[in-house]
Amino acid sequence: MDNRQVAEYLIQTMKEKGADMGECRVSSNVKTEVYYESGKISMVRSVLGASVGVKVLKDMKKGAIQINSAEKEALDKAVDDALAAAAFAKPDEAEGISDEVVTASFEKGPKVPDRDALYSAMRTFVDDVKRDYPKISFDSISTEHVASEVVYQNTNGVCLTNSNGVNGYGAMFMAVENGKSSSFNYFGETFTDFQQPLIERGLARTILSETERQIETRNLEGKFEGDILIPPNCLDVFLYYLQQNFLSDMVHIEGTSLWKDALNTVVAVPELTFACRPRDERLAANQPFTGDGYIAQNMNIIENGVLKNFTLSRYGAAKTGKARSANTGGYYVVEPGTKTKEELLASIPKGLLLNRFSGGSPGTNGDFTGVAKNSFLIENGKVTDAVSEVMVSGNLATMLKNITGISVETINDGNSILPWIKVSGIVISGK
Amino acid sequence: MTGNAVSETSGFSARVCKNGAYGFASSAVYTPESVAASVAAAAENAAFLDQREKLGKVPFAKVPSFREELRYTREDDVTQKQIIDYMNELDALVAKLCPKLKSRFTAARCLTMEKLLYTSDGVFAHTATPRSIIYVGLTAEGNDGAPVEIFEPFGTFGVFDEVFTNPVQYESLIAELYEQVMAKAGGVYAEPGRKQVILHPDLAGILAHEAVGHTVEADFVLSGSVGGPNLNKQVASELVTMVDFAHTALGQRCPVPVYVDDEGTPGTDAVLIENGILKEFMHNKESAAHFGHTPKGNARAFAYNDEPLIRMRNTCILPGKDKLADMIASIDDGYYFIKTGNGQADATGEFMFGVNFGYEIKKGKLGRPLKDTTIAGVAFDVLKTVDMLSDDLSWSCSGMCGKKQMIPVGMGGPAIRAFVNVGGR
Repeated sequence: MDNRQVAEYLIQTMKEKGADMGECRVSSNVKTEVYYESGKISMVRSVLGASVGVKVLKDMKKGAIQINSAEKEALDKAVDDALAAAAFAKPDEAEGISDEVVTASFEKGPKVPDRDALYSAMRTFVDDVKRDYPKISFDSISTEHVASEVVYQNTNGVCLTNSNGVNGYGAMFMAVENGKSSSFNYFGETFTDFQQPLIERGLARTILSETERQIETRNLEGKFEGDILIPPNCLDVFLYYLQQNFLSDMVHIEGTSLWKDALNTVVAVPELTFACRPRDERLAANQPFTGDGYIAQNMNIIENGVLKNFTLSRYGAAKTGKARSANTGGYYVVEPGTKTKEELLASIPKGLLLNRFSGGSPGTNGDFTGVAKNSFLIENGKVTDAVSEVMVSGNLATMLKNITGISVETINDGNSILPWIKVSGIVISGK
Repeated sequence: MTGNAVSETSGFSARVCKNGAYGFASSAVYTPESVAASVAAAAENAAFLDQREKLGKVPFAKVPSFREELRYTREDDVTQKQIIDYMNELDALVAKLCPKLKSRFTAARCLTMEKLLYTSDGVFAHTATPRSIIYVGLTAEGNDGAPVEIFEPFGTFGVFDEVFTNPVQYESLIAELYEQVMAKAGGVYAEPGRKQVILHPDLAGILAHEAVGHTVEADFVLSGSVGGPNLNKQVASELVTMVDFAHTALGQRCPVPVYVDDEGTPGTDAVLIENGILKEFMHNKESAAHFGHTPKGNARAFAYNDEPLIRMRNTCILPGKDKLADMIASIDDGYYFIKTGNGQADATGEFMFGVNFGYEIKKGKLGRPLKDTTIAGVAFDVLKTVDMLSDDLSWSCSGMCGKKQMIPVGMGGPAIRAFVNVGGR
């Protein structure tokens, strides 16, 4: 059976076995990977994956099973197990399935892996880095192609299919000289083809060059309140925290989101427009429908500083009495500002170029504190020394109101499109 | 109840090495055709790479064949109903013991990994590693109106009903958690800077794993981590001995016992630091051959479609001779850090981890409770400042290490006294 047939079989079986409602998500993927570690291109992998997710509702009680076999016997057992699990669950009036009845298919990207291209891109990248950045020592690099198909169906008649292919790479490395190493650093990107050499993509050259300058570092004494300049790859992490802490199902169901009553109020400076765009054509990655069976739409989370949407699923919305969101997050896009990143940098008398934030996830109150990794001091508008053992502290919500600049340049890494942003009022502390 | 789900994943993989080039292939479909196709794909991948890279490595020395039969068996499995019933009782207990919360959650997560391994050297191993963990999270309203949280995992090796017999067994721990979250509601920010502190065993465990363990994994050493140049050198105070236990520590089964690793190497303990001297790295077969060392069983894969990586197993600092009360009394101005969230390490040994609960120590006595903070340092520098270790060992059993693949690990230690950098305001 193909994925669509498996889904149809599951829906039929759920009905026959007495489920009041049910949904399934059947997916398969083929991953082809070339891998580098310990100083050599070491491995080529071909991985076939499969996943079958079944959710049933009986008397508003939920049972859910996830397996990775599409054999009939396993599918029957999955439905039986889900119904058995539902029998012991507590009824939940917020439960349900998508009722936006639609049949739709989506397709994007190259479906067939090109193993030679994956290998050649890796070989060229390793040689390019060795030539141009001789102090760089790789921990690992992978080039990969993933072809996947996902089918969502439910007992209301919703039927959605996404067939997708993407290429990507990721590298983790450090700089080493005379037995001394820098902090490790990494980057990665998702894209459709290998036309552009990996070293020329995104922030690759910037990050490799900066890492070579991070072998020697300066410690800071004491603490000060200053500005930080956050590049796109680090901004992504803060936006993720923002989603988890203020926008997601969990914090709204628990009632702990600081923004739970903040819809249509000002939560950021007017220059900030932040969106989740799973169907943005500019991104190589995409998610045309949500995990709970709705066609996803792009949406602004913050529009000119005003909170416009959360990222609530159908369940999260029903549980909290709020509206279901047009998507459930990720695929971040922040609108560019008006100043160049050099102008933003030049406007900072004393602060930090925060290239990587290594800290615990912020608490629900938004407080964060962590180590500034791969980061540099900014003094009199210029990037000076790399720092070590420097910590930054602030608050996610406050930070959005203290944005003092957004760059006109943005970076599209295939999963997000983000600028550099400048934030003031961050506590920067050393030993 | 907002979640009620079971997930079961199975499949097989084949790994082939040709002149040092590896080919790997896997599938979730168990048929003779699919197995043959995957083995052929793995061999073809290895040949593809060998042809291009021409690494020309000689095969590893053959090891004697052996069989590792299943040590953990169980006829029946725990039912979803048993888990749900237990969790309902536990949740009721939390609600009763913690009346002033803003919100609470309880969650159970049970994971069993069962593997069959065959190698071309003639090794056969059948292993099963069950682990059951319950998570309790409490949220209260802080004095400033913002929420404050406390989170704690309980559990260890074993199937759910072997580990969790009656929720009442956790009554005192839940009461203690509640006391902590209510104290944290009136907490203060830690003062940033370098401070002498007591790290609770959970933090000592994560220090062992994140700050030292990763830097002495041989693949990381080969990339240039700080571990490499420090072999056989003093990297910690003489009081510090740190071991990556395979399966048994101080006469007790470890949280994540590894009797045979996923390359067919029998699990034996790796003594990483002995009396402050860095003694060895952790290896797979290839890195062990590179360094001329003996592999100890650290090549571990998580899912069927993962290749073995060099991983820790049960990493801990061994206990000392001090009493925790004496350690606290010995500090004039510092902190006692009790709970941790997550942690990260670096090639340089620079580490950080989140601290979710702790107290000030003023003139030898516990002072005000703390809000969330982060501590950081350079592993070997911090370990050189360790001058007191408590005489007890406590394992943290819920760890998942995220190096390329997630995998369960155990972390442990005593309480230790050391200097670290404290983040704050």
